[in-house]
Amino acid sequence: MGSTVFVGFQRILVAFDASPHAEHALDVALSMAADMKAKLFVLSVIRPPEPAESAEFNAVLEDMRERYQRSFAPIRERARQKEIELETEIVVGHPAEQIIHRADTIQASLIVMGKRSHTILHRWMLGSNSERVLKYAHCPVMIVH
Amino acid sequence: MTNTWALAALWGGLALAATLLAIWFKISTALSEIVVGTVAQLIIGLLFAQGGLLGNTQWITFLAGTGAIVLTFLAGAELDPTVFKTKWRETLVIGLAGFFGPFLGCTAAAHYLLHWSVVSSWLCGVALSTTSVAVVYAVMLELGFNVTEYGKSILAACFINDIGTVVALGLIFSPFTVKTLIFIAVSVAVFAALPFVTPWFFRKYGGRVSEIEAKYLLFVLFALGGLALWAGSEAVLPAYMIGMVLAGTVGKDHALIRRLRTLTFGLLTPFYFIRAGSFVSVPALIAAPATMFILFLAKSLTKAAAVYPAVRAHRYDGSSGAYYTLMMSTGLTFGTISALFGYNHHIIDQAQYSYIVGTVIASAVIPTMIANSFFLPRHLLPHALAGRKPEPAVKRQAAAEEA
Repeated sequence: MGSTVFVGFQRILVAFDASPHAEHALDVALSMAADMKAKLFVLSVIRPPEPAESAEFNAVLEDMRERYQRSFAPIRERARQKEIELETEIVVGHPAEQIIHRADTIQASLIVMGKRSHTILHRWMLGSNSERVLKYAHCPVMIVH
Repeated sequence: MTNTWALAALWGGLALAATLLAIWFKISTALSEIVVGTVAQLIIGLLFAQGGLLGNTQWITFLAGTGAIVLTFLAGAELDPTVFKTKWRETLVIGLAGFFGPFLGCTAAAHYLLHWSVVSSWLCGVALSTTSVAVVYAVMLELGFNVTEYGKSILAACFINDIGTVVALGLIFSPFTVKTLIFIAVSVAVFAALPFVTPWFFRKYGGRVSEIEAKYLLFVLFALGGLALWAGSEAVLPAYMIGMVLAGTVGKDHALIRRLRTLTFGLLTPFYFIRAGSFVSVPALIAAPATMFILFLAKSLTKAAAVYPAVRAHRYDGSSGAYYTLMMSTGLTFGTISALFGYNHHIIDQAQYSYIVGTVIASAVIPTMIANSFFLPRHLLPHALAGRKPEPAVKRQAAAEEA
């Protein structure tokens, strides 16, 4: 039986919601991707309000798409400077599910995400996305504090 | 409380509180405003003033009514007209099944199980027959089916379902007289002319600071709304139809739709939803929770019983068959508009109004709550996982050197 060697994470998925926690996670992911010559996938998930109501739903969708598109421009520039192959994507749905699903389809070797501090009530009602990703992801998950 | 500005400040404060709650708990503002309206009416009514929020004050009634009209117009304007051009037959069948199933089923349940009067039962059937297009669209976006033929036909079916609701609301409870015929004739003529007149008018006079587009739309909505009321009908019926006939033109003007949304969410809909919530009687809900349970069950079962065969008949099964269940969710807008219409026209009493609004909220919220409580990523279900493996971070020595 031959020995095994760590070849680095070749496909890194970073979950990005434009929050300070996500910015921090993005810094780490960019740095890792540069060091390991990995391809970086930046995924932003729009979570519609529940239950979705027509006019509000479309307004949220449009606003968040524009916001994320604006955020992606400096990320692309940083990736270009570090010579990192980058892919950005905006999807709609439950954040944890979409992160897990995207990691699965792109065969990510690592998921990087920021940890948000939630109140007990918030966690009870909505759950923690990072905990859910940790529970169901098929690959290693890095939670950046 | 007779001070207009103090009353306005109270309602503005409640709208602000509802929006903050919606942001914190990631729920829709509409839901938050209904709940805040109910709780505020209960507390203020008990502690401070007999009339509570004074929801029947004339200017509040006007703003709330305008909110319902513009919100319904926006809902209609979101229709994608191209979806009707393909598969219109199955869209019609599924949409009408989605309407008639709960409409007849909930009417029967209200009349035979709850012993409501015939007219109250019909109102109940109308209010619970709606479907939330947005809920269906949200889940389709999530699973990426919004661009498929199947997804588009289900979305179109939801619009047909809601047309059934607004037409029933607009025509069942009004006496059929000469006024009704005039209303229908004028409406049809206006609906036919609007897609041609509106783009021409906007091209000629639009794009100015004076917001002539918004004034034009408000004029048309108010005029046909007034005609509807004159005929004993409901103003949201023409508003929804105007939205649909202008979906291909005005609906595609994102800048205009955005400005209308600002007006709607910033000023109008808080008054509409808080007012709708303020009429909900918490004591009535507590006194007879079984009533709401019966209505919820009737709505869910009859919707499923009607839509499922219609969907199966068009050869949609397996994983895609799950979408029909989405049509069971009731839209807050049309559900509360129907209930409020019934309450304002003394078709239902406050207790019946409370049960219907409670059921509307429950049928919109419970599927989401269940999904969140028993969270399991849908994409990780066995069929979705077949053959997927991550890119390994650790490889055997030889393979690593080769790479």
